Amino acid sequence: MKPVPMMFAMLLLLAPTFAPAQAVAQAATSASAPRAGCAAANLRIVGPRTKDRPLPLMSGDGAHGFRPACSVPWSALSPRNEPLSVEACFRDSLLQLTNDSACGASKGKLWVSARWVLTSTDAASEGTKVVVCQQLETGAYAGTRELKPPCVPANATPAASAPAH
Amino acid sequence: MISGVSGDSAGQAPARRHGGRGPFIESLLLATVALAVLNFHPFGSAHLRRHFSQDLIYAWFGDAEWLHPRLPGSAGLRLAPPRAVVMLVDDAALALRGAAWPVPAAFHAQLLTELEVLRPRAVMLDFLLLDRPPSDDICALLAAADRLRSDRIPVYLAVTRQEDLSRLMNANCMDDAGKPLRADEVLIPVSVRRQADETDFVSRRYPFEEADFEQPDEAVGQGAEGGAPGLPSAAVRIYCDMAAQRDRCAADLERGALPQAGFELAWSPRGDPFNRRWSKAGCGGPPASLRAIVDRTMFPRETGCPPIATLFASALLSPAEDSALGANNEQLFDLVEGSTVFIGGNFRASGDLITTPMHTLLPGVYYHAVAFENLAIFGGKPKIREEFRRFPLGIYLYDWCVLWALAAIFVWREKWIGADAEAMHHGPLSPSLSARAWVAHLIARTPVALSLSLLVVASLFLAAYPVLQLWTLIAAIVTAVCIEVRVASRGELKERLRNVGLYLGALGLSLTVVAFAIWFGYRWLRLPPGDWVGYLSFSTVGFFVAHTAIVDFGRHVGSIRLTRTASGGVS
Repeated sequence: MKPVPMMFAMLLLLAPTFAPAQAVAQAATSASAPRAGCAAANLRIVGPRTKDRPLPLMSGDGAHGFRPACSVPWSALSPRNEPLSVEACFRDSLLQLTNDSACGASKGKLWVSARWVLTSTDAASEGTKVVVCQQLETGAYAGTRELKPPCVPANATPAASAPAH
Repeated sequence: MISGVSGDSAGQAPARRHGGRGPFIESLLLATVALAVLNFHPFGSAHLRRHFSQDLIYAWFGDAEWLHPRLPGSAGLRLAPPRAVVMLVDDAALALRGAAWPVPAAFHAQLLTELEVLRPRAVMLDFLLLDRPPSDDICALLAAADRLRSDRIPVYLAVTRQEDLSRLMNANCMDDAGKPLRADEVLIPVSVRRQADETDFVSRRYPFEEADFEQPDEAVGQGAEGGAPGLPSAAVRIYCDMAAQRDRCAADLERGALPQAGFELAWSPRGDPFNRRWSKAGCGGPPASLRAIVDRTMFPRETGCPPIATLFASALLSPAEDSALGANNEQLFDLVEGSTVFIGGNFRASGDLITTPMHTLLPGVYYHAVAFENLAIFGGKPKIREEFRRFPLGIYLYDWCVLWALAAIFVWREKWIGADAEAMHHGPLSPSLSARAWVAHLIARTPVALSLSLLVVASLFLAAYPVLQLWTLIAAIVTAVCIEVRVASRGELKERLRNVGLYLGALGLSLTVVAFAIWFGYRWLRLPPGDWVGYLSFSTVGFFVAHTAIVDFGRHVGSIRLTRTASGGVS
């Protein structure tokens, strides 16, 4: 972003050998761990990962760019703590909500960063490690002792999630 | 080699007659010559020597607590002073939000909004907004900065001139309550000008301020000396905004420094442990001293792991880029919450790269982050070189006092050795006369052509294969000791042991003086370690041995004075 003085231009010529900046970029790429993320079917957002702080929401789209819209608590998006449907996702980074009113009118459908929410994919992958949950005929959910709500069975479309008992 | 007391016999008399004054004057003369030689650099060569000396010190001991104190660890992030965290924006991060170089203002706005969740102590954007962004983007950026400001998280923006901030004005931006948003209210402009040493272009210094910054009209006349105040550098402004004595902080930092001076940056060779998650290079400290010498890594080496904890913006924006920051982002919160976040670019094409004593190329944002951490770890008392002091004479007077103490130890050692001309003539570590004679006879029995040829071949091999030099040195020492033990008389050996003991005693005392001088200068006079290697070279007394001609000259002058006094002349 700074002007390129002659010294830096010379350094650029020497760059391919031992440049930490280059190592930084390469290492960052290699450190990426691809996840199922947006590719998962029936992807839903099941809760926040923000220490109960407001979730930053974005407006816009990939073609025209994104901009911050507002920050709202999870309870504003899901008053009954229900999972939220994901309409679309953008490069495993942004998840589009069906909600288009949380930040007021004219913002369009809002996006939230995948960093700040727990998705059904995350919950399922964690759940398969240590806990099991299932929907009972009564409509309630049951899970093993380690289950942390909400329970989101991957093969069902729950009308509501409830804490495990 | 001329010995300190091997002057003519005429010179011995005045020294004895002066009693205690002789050693006093001799050590004073030696210290004065030493100071002159240490700082004699008509062509600027001393700067190079000091730079390299300083780099060497930091490369060897840069991870030592006494030289480079540590900030509280992750458990104490909320304690003052906060740690610095670098966030690097690269092409991968831009792509995650459908953006591309140059970084649009809307991307900065998103990043600030995401960072708000983590509650950093302060945020600095090391990006120059050289072109006026679209109004919507400006408003998004100002609104994001305003939200952070309402959370008591100041946002600092890099500028080079007043127009940089003016570009963000007049966009008719409003906050959610309909109140106008002004760039100069929600963003704090800071200077990002760099200082590099002219001789090798390495960034060892950090400016306090940009004195010739073009200020708005209303600021003119508010400077301490009648002129407009300079624009504080990023690290200085951020540090001072957190300081208890905020109003006096900048003045305290610059106390005793010349205008447009900078403070010295201590670069640690130890990478931050957080960077292990992505760094290919090891994030440990420098090698152990013995290993450094044997493995020939005693000189500063490239360090691939930056000394500041580094989070990639892509990791913040997408868990797919770094899924190991905790199920609930625990590591992310631990790292950023309460920290000072420096956001910079990692774009090769931008040219925003610096060379440090330990890094060939490093994104420029580290310059500000390391400067901020230096101010924090040294408690707002950064190191300032002699040449940037308002009163350099005082610093050189301190140097002279240290050298005088070292010279006095040397003179004391010479006196203790006594009047044994033979012992003093050859020094405690030189071969004795018997050993020299034995070696001379051995060489004399060898044909001249053969001995000379062997010498030439050995020299060529040592020059061509430096790895042989250390082993040759060790072999030479062992051989010399064996020869001494075999050929020297009992008396010579006894005398030799005594002289070696005196030498080691003087060396130990000198090193103690040097250690105290280094500690006092570093801790209380805020002197960088540029002269430390010079001090150490004096403590080995080799320098004084080489410059004792001034002592002989002084004695000669003294004898003339005595002669004139005795004959009724001037006393």
